[in-house]
Amino acid sequence: MEQPDYNAAPLSLNKRRELPLVWILPIIAFLVSVWLVAKSIHEKGPVITIRFPTAEGLEVDKTKIRFLNVEIGKVTAITIDQDLKTILVTAQINHSAEDYLHEHTQFWVVRPQIGLGGVSGLGTLLSGAYIEIQPGDGDDQSNFTGLSNPPVLKHNQDGRYFVLETDDLGSLRPGTPIHFHGINVGEVLNYKLVAEGGLIQLSAFINAPYHRFVRKNTHFWKDGGIDVSAGAEGFKVRTAPLVSLLSGGIAFEASQEDNADSIMPDNTAFELFNSYEQTTQITYQNSLKYVMYFSGSVRGLAEGAPVQLRGITIGKVKKINVEVDEHSTAIRIPVLIELELDRIKGIHGDFHGDFKISDHELVTALVKKGLRAQLQTGSLLTGQLLVDLDFYPESKPREILTIGKYPEFPTTASSLDQFSTSAKVIMDKLSKLPLNELTAELNKTLQSLQTTSAAATTMLHSAKSTLTTADHTINKAGRTLTSADQTLSAAQQTLSTLKPGSDMQYQLHQMLLELTQAASSVRQMADILEQHPDSVIRGKQQP
Amino acid sequence: MSFSNKKSALKQGLIRCHQCGCIVQLSAIALEGKHLAPCPRCDGQLHTRLPNSFQRTAALLCSAFVLYIPANVFPIMIVTKFGVPEQHTIISGIISLINSGMIPIAILVFIASILVPLIKMLGLLILLWAVRYRWQRNMRLLALVYRMIAFVGRWSMLDIFMISILVSIVSSEALEQVLAGSAATAFAGVVVLTMLATNSFDPRLLWDRLGAQ
Repeated sequence: MEQPDYNAAPLSLNKRRELPLVWILPIIAFLVSVWLVAKSIHEKGPVITIRFPTAEGLEVDKTKIRFLNVEIGKVTAITIDQDLKTILVTAQINHSAEDYLHEHTQFWVVRPQIGLGGVSGLGTLLSGAYIEIQPGDGDDQSNFTGLSNPPVLKHNQDGRYFVLETDDLGSLRPGTPIHFHGINVGEVLNYKLVAEGGLIQLSAFINAPYHRFVRKNTHFWKDGGIDVSAGAEGFKVRTAPLVSLLSGGIAFEASQEDNADSIMPDNTAFELFNSYEQTTQITYQNSLKYVMYFSGSVRGLAEGAPVQLRGITIGKVKKINVEVDEHSTAIRIPVLIELELDRIKGIHGDFHGDFKISDHELVTALVKKGLRAQLQTGSLLTGQLLVDLDFYPESKPREILTIGKYPEFPTTASSLDQFSTSAKVIMDKLSKLPLNELTAELNKTLQSLQTTSAAATTMLHSAKSTLTTADHTINKAGRTLTSADQTLSAAQQTLSTLKPGSDMQYQLHQMLLELTQAASSVRQMADILEQHPDSVIRGKQQP
Repeated sequence: MSFSNKKSALKQGLIRCHQCGCIVQLSAIALEGKHLAPCPRCDGQLHTRLPNSFQRTAALLCSAFVLYIPANVFPIMIVTKFGVPEQHTIISGIISLINSGMIPIAILVFIASILVPLIKMLGLLILLWAVRYRWQRNMRLLALVYRMIAFVGRWSMLDIFMISILVSIVSSEALEQVLAGSAATAFAGVVVLTMLATNSFDPRLLWDRLGAQ
């Protein structure tokens, strides 16, 4: 069999050495893979750790990290820290969110919350908890400590931060609402005790546009609950909005004094008054302090009692002390008062614009004209005293002297003092009366009066028996009258049977008619007998 | 091994037309430049072997290997439950199936999605290796490997079918939603490429060198 050699030629035909086009395919596949990997690496940003007190609701690979509800990462691991008190959450953050991770960035877990302030995070009931992020500034960082509670203020709201200072936190907490004329305009963010102690600084946030009402003389006060105050001006009841009643609150009020120019900048400190009452009392920055010495008791005068000028409050009592003079052992009661002379205005606008004198000089001039202080009862109900300033031109002229720390303001005896003095005089006179003799006389008179009254009693007894017999007689007469009454009623019944229309009457009528007919027949018979007497024998003759 | 010593058709000067199956004597056809003349019966292009079989298979296999990586690394399915998206790779899907007690299904998915493509690709690699380095032992085993690969090819599309059915059925967006991830595309690519690679591999190449020495 012929065996041609085909080996060399045809096989060489199959050996093409140039690279076939099909090799583009793996290149494309490689590029696609590289692109996918690069994309996912690019999207994967930094890995961070967040420290939380508890992992409640957090799940690996399921719990997301969100900012403004946009997912920017997820939890990749949860481990317990070495101190066995906290947990460390490892999270993979997207590349796009890399810029949010700074020193002051905050993390907290959003869980469903139901409280007095409202309901939040309901969506997490179905989807599970998630970690919210609030970007902050500062250096780049990858280890964070999460907040145990969500911050009250979320994201960048318009408004201003203010500092409120108080000495008692009470029921104020982060999240306590701040009201302005009843509108909820802000919240307490947090609080801290100032290093020296005794003063608590609250950080508060007022939303725009209401921050414009926080001005120089704006007053903040605790608005938590029902405020019943009994002062020299009587009883007062103020109530806060319902939410504040339940959980405490803060309110503020803009002063008439301020205009829009005096809006305060961020982080201005304000005093937080304990009640609305206090805000109305202390309104003015400039004050003058005087000391007053009152003769007699100051019972009923409390610190904070108003100082009034002809009924208008211009100051208040700051302090009441007791002093004993070492030499004369005299007891003096200095009452320190504070006058807010800004409250006094000139007739044409600002007082001080017209008069170029200082407050103290003004007071001195007024005292020279006879201005004196006097204790007066403010309210008869509560018995509170107040300091009243008025002019007593007839009083001895006195000057304001500065002996101790404060200048002394002259006083005059209070009307109460005057009253008690005269009452004492009357009592003295009363005590001098011969009371013993008067009593003996009175005793005798009373004894004679007693015998007289005994005689009167016996007389009254006999009168009583007489009256009893009279009573009997009257009873008998009463019975007689009753039987007469019965007789009369029987007669009345009899008569009533003869009434027109009754049976008896009809029968009577018939009987009378028949009698009449009988009478006429008798008459006719008599006539016949008269004319024909024989008819008795012969009978009636036929005509 | 008497059978393996038989000479191939090509060595006997015969080639078979791929289109009509006509056996042609090589000596009877002229060369047209670099190519063989068309088939005298059907006018189709005659090849001694599938053109560029080795190169094509190697290229397609390379592509399949490259795509196999993202197919396993990236999420193949994104299941959104109550608005919380959850991404599943092939492996994590199998693990969650095991965790929920559906071990038979897990085994099925493991075989269809991981084992079959891998076996296919490794088998093709071995075959190419054998052709390239002219292995002459265990030839029947290699032939068995080829038959297995050709048979099993279509079954690894199971995953893609499952995902496409899920995507269309589970579509109430508020409660639950299933989306195909980027790995699904890559995985489909792997399956298609391995099938093409199997098709373009000419098993006769295995036997060509036999007894050439």
